[in-house]
Amino acid sequence: MIADTQNFKPFNPDPIAVLSQSGDWIAPFALTLDDETLKTIYKHMLAARLLDERFIKLQRSGKMSFVAPHSGHEAPQVAAAHAISKGTDWLFPYYRDYAMTLALGQSVLEILAQTTGSRLDTAKARQMPMHPGSKTLNIFTGASAIASHIPPAVGTAISMKIRETGQAVLTSFGDGATSEGDFHAAINYAGAKGAPIVFLCENNRLAISVDFNKQTGSETIAIKAKAYGMPGYLVDGMDVLACYYVLKECVENARAGLGPSLVEAQVMRFGAHSSADDDTVYRSKEELELMRQRDPILRMRRFLEKQGLWSDKAEEKFIKETQLAFQTALDTLAEAEKVPLEWMFDDVYAELLPHLAQQKKEFLG
Amino acid sequence: MSTATLVKTSYREAVRAAIREAMKRDNRVFLMGEDVGEYGGCYAVSMGLLEEFGPERIRDTPLSESAFVGAGIGAALGGMRPIVEVMTVNFSLLALDQILNTAATLLHMSGGQFNVPIVIRMATGAGRQLAAQHSHSLEGWYAHIPGIKVLAPGTVEDARGMLWPALQDPDPVLIFENAALYNMEAEMPGEFKDFDISKAKIRRAGSDLSLISYGGSLGKTLAAAEELAKVGISAEVLDLRSLRPLDTETIMDSVRRTNRAVIVDEGWRTGSLAAEVMASIMEQAFYDLDAPVGRVCSEEVPIPYAKHMEEAAIPQIPKIVAAAKEVLNAHV
Repeated sequence: MIADTQNFKPFNPDPIAVLSQSGDWIAPFALTLDDETLKTIYKHMLAARLLDERFIKLQRSGKMSFVAPHSGHEAPQVAAAHAISKGTDWLFPYYRDYAMTLALGQSVLEILAQTTGSRLDTAKARQMPMHPGSKTLNIFTGASAIASHIPPAVGTAISMKIRETGQAVLTSFGDGATSEGDFHAAINYAGAKGAPIVFLCENNRLAISVDFNKQTGSETIAIKAKAYGMPGYLVDGMDVLACYYVLKECVENARAGLGPSLVEAQVMRFGAHSSADDDTVYRSKEELELMRQRDPILRMRRFLEKQGLWSDKAEEKFIKETQLAFQTALDTLAEAEKVPLEWMFDDVYAELLPHLAQQKKEFLG
Repeated sequence: MSTATLVKTSYREAVRAAIREAMKRDNRVFLMGEDVGEYGGCYAVSMGLLEEFGPERIRDTPLSESAFVGAGIGAALGGMRPIVEVMTVNFSLLALDQILNTAATLLHMSGGQFNVPIVIRMATGAGRQLAAQHSHSLEGWYAHIPGIKVLAPGTVEDARGMLWPALQDPDPVLIFENAALYNMEAEMPGEFKDFDISKAKIRRAGSDLSLISYGGSLGKTLAAAEELAKVGISAEVLDLRSLRPLDTETIMDSVRRTNRAVIVDEGWRTGSLAAEVMASIMEQAFYDLDAPVGRVCSEEVPIPYAKHMEEAAIPQIPKIVAAAKEVLNAHV
């Protein structure tokens, strides 16, 4: 369902944008965000980009096993974090969503700790990188089987509706995930129940190497919402403010009892799928160059500069501070004690069962 | 437990009574699955519960095992205590990823942050002439997975008593109800208190050998013990009840007294739960054994349709009797 007061109408043929490439406000409604929030949104995108670059360096120097670069996906991710209510709403992200969890408030130390196997890792050295999870921030621990986090996301949303808690869920996934049975099964169930959930598809048109045209016969992902009985919105995923306004409206509708929505953010993946593949095999440098001209960070920066909210000096200062924060976290982690081996036996069950206690004893000799 | 008022109850009615009681005791508890509402469940377990508790607590779901098992996991994360009914173990394979990759691993992989207090019930086993894709016994297979607990109520009493403690458990619990048992009847007490689901139980005391079984094979094993008694063989019958974790203490206590054992398990032989029990006995009670441990399992074929074929493919009383005599070197 949609509300009369909405800025956006579903099943729009062209992607919704509120900023032009040159950074001008082009929406038919007035900007409502204050200067500080606008700057924070930009800083979150920039910090996420720098984090991505740091991840790649860490992976190439053998300090982390796996990276799924999120560069090019920052806009919908940061927008999602700003659209939901921190610590109240729930987030069920996928494995390319560190810009989202960083913007929601996951600390750099906590994010980097998951690469180190140290005692500072909240996942206790059991979860691979790129799979964030936080009970305090209501972030469901990332799932590796594609789309398998979507049915639990819907279940959490249905329980919110039944208990009338006024909360909402946001779950994100790539375009490849929409070919999985779990995506269909879960979104169908959400539609049948009118669950308070926003489905965010970060469509970069590549599932590792497989092109969107081989993934589906459908023109867009957003249009699929029609069949599930909910509104679908197509958004310019390189325009962070467009992503914010659309997602915000969807989250508010979910909370108001108007049911679920599907948002397709058309993004571009600047990096490879992950550290396990070489994207030059399936796309050209020229293609990538064209994509980078549409960088969501550049567009938002142009907008801020035109508003007099940002400058080269501010940029330089923020980059320096962020890099320092990364280095400080990495230094702390370098000194942190490793997780002791016997910790692997904990949390298999809520308490240590006799057979595991025995195996632990034998393990320790 | 009080024995003052005994009521004749079927296994099916016992499960229903357990669900009803849990719903009354805790308003976070709800039942979800295919056809559990208006239709009353494909094995008629939830008959009448929709009228009593309404559609939000007796929830008919879309026909998608991965959706409603996954949604059950999400509901558990959201503070509810879901009972998810999967029609049969055969179709639970469509939700296997949710059970194995999500429910079973989440607590561990989140570093202890997220418990998944979900109960998943399903029918299991052969014997109704519905062919292989309705007749698998995969509970032993599920018992291979760390992070979940696996229960197999083989008596009406356990069908009635296991659900509440399973719902109290902070970990995911799978309950396997052998479909051949739903019409079984027993005299039941009205109330249950402090019902222990972690221990195996001796269902019949004996001194010559231990017959170790569970679920759908338990009744056949008890009948086999009765036949063995007629020829002067005293068989002890042990009901595993919990397939993960296994109560090896009670198993070893029995085997150390009888010095002989036969496992009766409707699962396929290779890599079976029976194999695990045999290995545990070998590790922990080898020097107490007077004979190699025997086992009676299903033939390693997809369970056939026709009645005579189906009966021949799964454990039956004569096979159990023969296996018992074999380990006693008493075959003629």
